[in-house]
Amino acid sequence: MLAYIAKRIVYTLPIMLGVAVVCFMLVHLAPGDPLVSVLPPDASESLKQQLLVLYGFDRPYIEQFAKWLWRALQGDLGTSIRTNRPVVAEVAKAVSNTLMLAALATLIGFLLGALFGFVAGYFRDSWIDKAASALSVVGVSVPHYWLGMVLVIIFAATLGWLPPTGAGPGGSEAWKWDWAHVRHMILPAITMSVIPMGIIARTVRALVGEILSQEFVAGLRAKGMTELDVLRHVVKNAAPTALAVMGIQLGYLLGGSILIETVFAWPGTGLLLNDAIFQRDLPLLQGTILVLAMFFVLLNMTVDVMQTALDPRVERS
Amino acid sequence: MLTAAEIREWDGGEPARGAPLLEVKGLVKHFPIKKGLFGGARGVVRAVDDITFDVVPGETLGIVGESGCGKSTTARLIMDLIRPDRGTIRLGGRAAGTPELSLKAFRAAVQMVFQDSYASLNPRLTVVESIAFGPTVHAISRREAVQRARGLLTRVGLEPARFAGRYPHELSGGQRQRVNIARALALQPKLLILDEAVSALDKSVEAQVLNLLLDLKDEFGLTYIFISHDLEVVRFMASRVLVMYLGRIAEIGPTEALYTASRHPYTTALLGSMLSMDPDRRTREAPLAGDPPNPINPPPGCRFHTRCRYAENLCSEKEPMLEATGSGHRAACHAVDPLSGHSRARRTRREGA
Amino acid sequence: MASIAGAPSVPSEKILRSPGYWATVWRRFRRDPVAVGAGLMIVAIVMIAILAPYIAPQDPYKGMTLRRLKPPGTEGFPLGTDELGRDMLSRLIYGARISLFMGVTPVFIALFIGSAIGIVAGYAGGWLNTVLMRTIDVFFAFPSVLLAIALSGALGAGIMNGLISLTVVFVPPIARVAESVTTGIRNRDFVDAARASGAGALTIIRKHVLGNVLGPIFVYAMSLIAVSMILASGLSFLGLGVKPPEPEWGLMLNTLRTAIYTQPLLCALPGLMIFITSISFNLLTDGMRSAMDMKA
Repeated sequence: MLAYIAKRIVYTLPIMLGVAVVCFMLVHLAPGDPLVSVLPPDASESLKQQLLVLYGFDRPYIEQFAKWLWRALQGDLGTSIRTNRPVVAEVAKAVSNTLMLAALATLIGFLLGALFGFVAGYFRDSWIDKAASALSVVGVSVPHYWLGMVLVIIFAATLGWLPPTGAGPGGSEAWKWDWAHVRHMILPAITMSVIPMGIIARTVRALVGEILSQEFVAGLRAKGMTELDVLRHVVKNAAPTALAVMGIQLGYLLGGSILIETVFAWPGTGLLLNDAIFQRDLPLLQGTILVLAMFFVLLNMTVDVMQTALDPRVERS
Repeated sequence: MLTAAEIREWDGGEPARGAPLLEVKGLVKHFPIKKGLFGGARGVVRAVDDITFDVVPGETLGIVGESGCGKSTTARLIMDLIRPDRGTIRLGGRAAGTPELSLKAFRAAVQMVFQDSYASLNPRLTVVESIAFGPTVHAISRREAVQRARGLLTRVGLEPARFAGRYPHELSGGQRQRVNIARALALQPKLLILDEAVSALDKSVEAQVLNLLLDLKDEFGLTYIFISHDLEVVRFMASRVLVMYLGRIAEIGPTEALYTASRHPYTTALLGSMLSMDPDRRTREAPLAGDPPNPINPPPGCRFHTRCRYAENLCSEKEPMLEATGSGHRAACHAVDPLSGHSRARRTRREGA
Repeated sequence: MASIAGAPSVPSEKILRSPGYWATVWRRFRRDPVAVGAGLMIVAIVMIAILAPYIAPQDPYKGMTLRRLKPPGTEGFPLGTDELGRDMLSRLIYGARISLFMGVTPVFIALFIGSAIGIVAGYAGGWLNTVLMRTIDVFFAFPSVLLAIALSGALGAGIMNGLISLTVVFVPPIARVAESVTTGIRNRDFVDAARASGAGALTIIRKHVLGNVLGPIFVYAMSLIAVSMILASGLSFLGLGVKPPEPEWGLMLNTLRTAIYTQPLLCALPGLMIFITSISFNLLTDGMRSAMDMKA
């Protein structure tokens, strides 16, 4: 078992390296001068040269990459050109904010999605199924940033029940788990949960339908098992895959939070990314993308390993 | 180089009568088990381990054995669907895949019918298109190929007017297998390998298909290799039988001689496991004990010795070779080899093998 | 000893042809009201996009600040005006063009590239498969939104760059599906039978593999169109895709945000269009999948 985990980790290493390469190259795809955001427009040639050497932009790419990677492995992702603070600090704070939101959203999405999916799969082809399936299709098709806006229109602008933006009265610096702060999370979390809800509902519906149609369920019923117990069996069989999907959705939310965070001005990684792009803050951009991508890769790997651990059918050499 | 056309014209009369049509020498195939960190092989499945036999023109050679003994792998090795690790295959004396005999020409002469009748047909092609595909690869015009296909459909008992335009999922198992046979015959082969071709069919349908195969063999002068785990069917179809065990040949000989006077203990046990139709002759105990051992780690010496009632120390040390025990009859067992030193072997010699 | 080639032939007119695969799929699809409805909706939207110059009442680029942010139902402007005084209805109609274009084109291009990679990897197997799929996996290691935004951010705003980023985002999933389907087909006996008849790899791929593989790949690609539209609009929403003054639904959502408190209905309209189009594509592909699933 441990050997399998070790093997899986080793398999992931080349991918992580590839991810690092892509992250690094992304930034250098950008047309134009990497220094354009730092320099005043009338800077002299010699100043430009000095800064070029200072930032290391004059060295060959391989060398830049190696240096950058080496420092990153030691926890140093450079300094943000804009704020002059270490990138790691900025990203860490943003990640914790996004993580809060994403976790809540995944939880809501999973609970609702599993519920809808289960009900739909159990009462297959009835009106309940159709209704639940309709909801999940809506969930998957709706542009979530638009939904965010709509919710803001309804609940903030029109009804005034919930705040439209921000992370609370003290901003993200002074986060406390009290109602004044948490109420800021409600709308963004619900908005974020819609797509995972749809996907999980669909997956669970298919899973439940498939399990119920298998012969062993007929066998259980013939044995005289109560329906409740049969359901428990179904849940047990469906759980590993459903949880795996949930894990992956969490990963997607972490990486794809930028749209919602823009709508709600939530100070997370998405907003950070947004700023970094528009201000061409390259170190910040590189660092943020790297951290997010790594999170995703590690999350996928964890989900994989857990699924194998939970599924007794998989061979463990 | 023997071209496809030459093979088509060749009536099997040359080389000299009795000379083999197909010669398989020293065929070996080990499948690596990928368990290592980066796919490095950790152990091999010795599916086929040094097989040598001939196929005489006009005969039906039956190949029998338990699941996992390597029969199907052997078939695919002969067809070059799997690359052998070692060994040669000669058709009419010429080595396949060399300048003497191109792989393409070889494939025109040797064809195969698979076990799963549905999986063997492209679900998107009609029956006639599937049959006509082979000839089109060998530079036969589409028109002529389709004509030939329709003719073959008639020949296997499927009326072209009703069947040619059908898709595989619209046919029954038996009908599909007939289509597969027609498809195999479309290239006018000399040798047909039937890999468990009737095993998945209902008994009554099986009988029809077997009779069809016999008719076709006479009509077109074919040679068959008939692979099956069903001993009764093999006895019906084959003129010679080859028994495989764990990747090696245990015994080979004329059908009746093998069935009535088998020499290898495995063959005897296998035949003993055939249930009799006579209620008075019931089988009291299983003739073969234990599970077949693992082809990854075959037992040392004779592979069968762990389940053999005649096993002696010699058997776990030295691997027996195929030795003649009668006219055209050979077995790989120390107990029948007078020179092996096995206690029973001396008795055999006294009986005047 | 008869010769096989001399067997009797049968005239071709007498042969019964069963309905082909696609005909059967179409027949099943036709019976599904939801799928057909979704299909019609998409046709309607496409027609709107194509006929935009003829049906739009006003010029979508001309606006007068005097008329800005008029609510729907205003005289002459059935759906109101945007923040620069341009007619919403006309902008929405013209927006269909760009939004559909940005949604469909990347998927189509990715379909070609991804299928080629996946089919080759699937058929060849071995080290080629490993190399190709591992490279694809690296891109798969990014969540799609992140990758799209990162690429767009790096390349800069604009339609072309947006198309490139989205295409890159969609090639890996399509390649994966293509590889998996091809490998499944590759291992079926009829491919072995085709090899056994002496056909070369290209012939086998052409005649036996493609026909069985393109269907599922195509349906999968179609299911990505909805995602592509949402992503493309999302990019414009962030300011990374289409640039103003082009009418694109996502961009319109962005520029109208300032009016959220004053004219909430106006803000919701472009997103509604995205939603309708996206859900239609999803329902359509669901219907196609059901129709193609012969076992159901």
